[in-house]
Amino acid sequence: MSKKRDRLEVIFDILKIINEHHNSIRPTPLLRAANLSSNSFSEYYADLISKELIKEIEDKERHKYITLTDKGFRYLEKYKLIIGFISEFEL
Amino acid sequence: MAIERFFNPFDFGIDLLFTIIAVVSCFLIYFKTKESYELTKYEGIRYFRQAFLFFGLSYLFRFALSIVVFSRIAFDVFIPRTMFLPLFILLIGYFSTTGIFYLIFGSIWHKFDSKKLLIFGHGTAIILSIISFFTRSHLILIYLQCLLLIIAIVLNFIISRQGRKISRIKVLYALVAVLWLINLLIIDRRRPFPEGVESFFQILSIAVFVIIYYKISKWVR
Repeated sequence: MSKKRDRLEVIFDILKIINEHHNSIRPTPLLRAANLSSNSFSEYYADLISKELIKEIEDKERHKYITLTDKGFRYLEKYKLIIGFISEFEL
Repeated sequence: MAIERFFNPFDFGIDLLFTIIAVVSCFLIYFKTKESYELTKYEGIRYFRQAFLFFGLSYLFRFALSIVVFSRIAFDVFIPRTMFLPLFILLIGYFSTTGIFYLIFGSIWHKFDSKKLLIFGHGTAIILSIISFFTRSHLILIYLQCLLLIIAIVLNFIISRQGRKISRIKVLYALVAVLWLINLLIIDRRRPFPEGVESFFQILSIAVFVIIYYKISKWVR
């Protein structure tokens, strides 16, 4: 499996974790659950924010939470089909 | 020998229909895969969909080229050939060479640096199109692309499939490129093939695009 394919899978896993936590999780538990090094996690985190797959929100006590955007939900929904497409066309 | 004397309104109509189907199929493939690319920003998908965008444009300008060639006798319209013929050959050369490269890059991109691939692909496409522009010949373009395709197929086989069977999708990719070259050759109505063979290649081209679109539709909804 290619490095990039792995990357798509890691992104899927991160988004899935957020979704399984009722679409609201704090960064530290997400880092733990994602099973990545903190450097790797920071890189993916910045990437997901820039791709608008996730967004940060703050509660009244100014605690930061991470939630999925509509695009993030679409990614989760379409992931298996996209992987099938990539595999069938050997991309 | 003037090309105009080979003008046949029926062939021209068939070619127009073929162009419409080919261009629409290519653009449908491009737009159908838009969401998959926007969600993932996956390089392989980017090369794949852009290859079909470039092929769509190539087929469009291929037909525009035949309009320029036959404009005077078919439509009684004067289009300055000396200006438009080399210009369209230049555009066809660039779009189709880039299309062929992108189709190949789609399957080998993870083995190379993306920036170098792009520089190589666009650089070669520009050189080929400039040569065709100055020679004012689509035949020179066909010979050069043929040579390029043979090298690319051999290299692709060596790089990605050492000792493995050639996959059906690779055969489809090769068909897209080879049929493009044949369809570019057909534009010259001096009958490079026996009657009926041209239509066979056009039907085969449409069949290849439809198969690819059908395969995409299974995954991209």
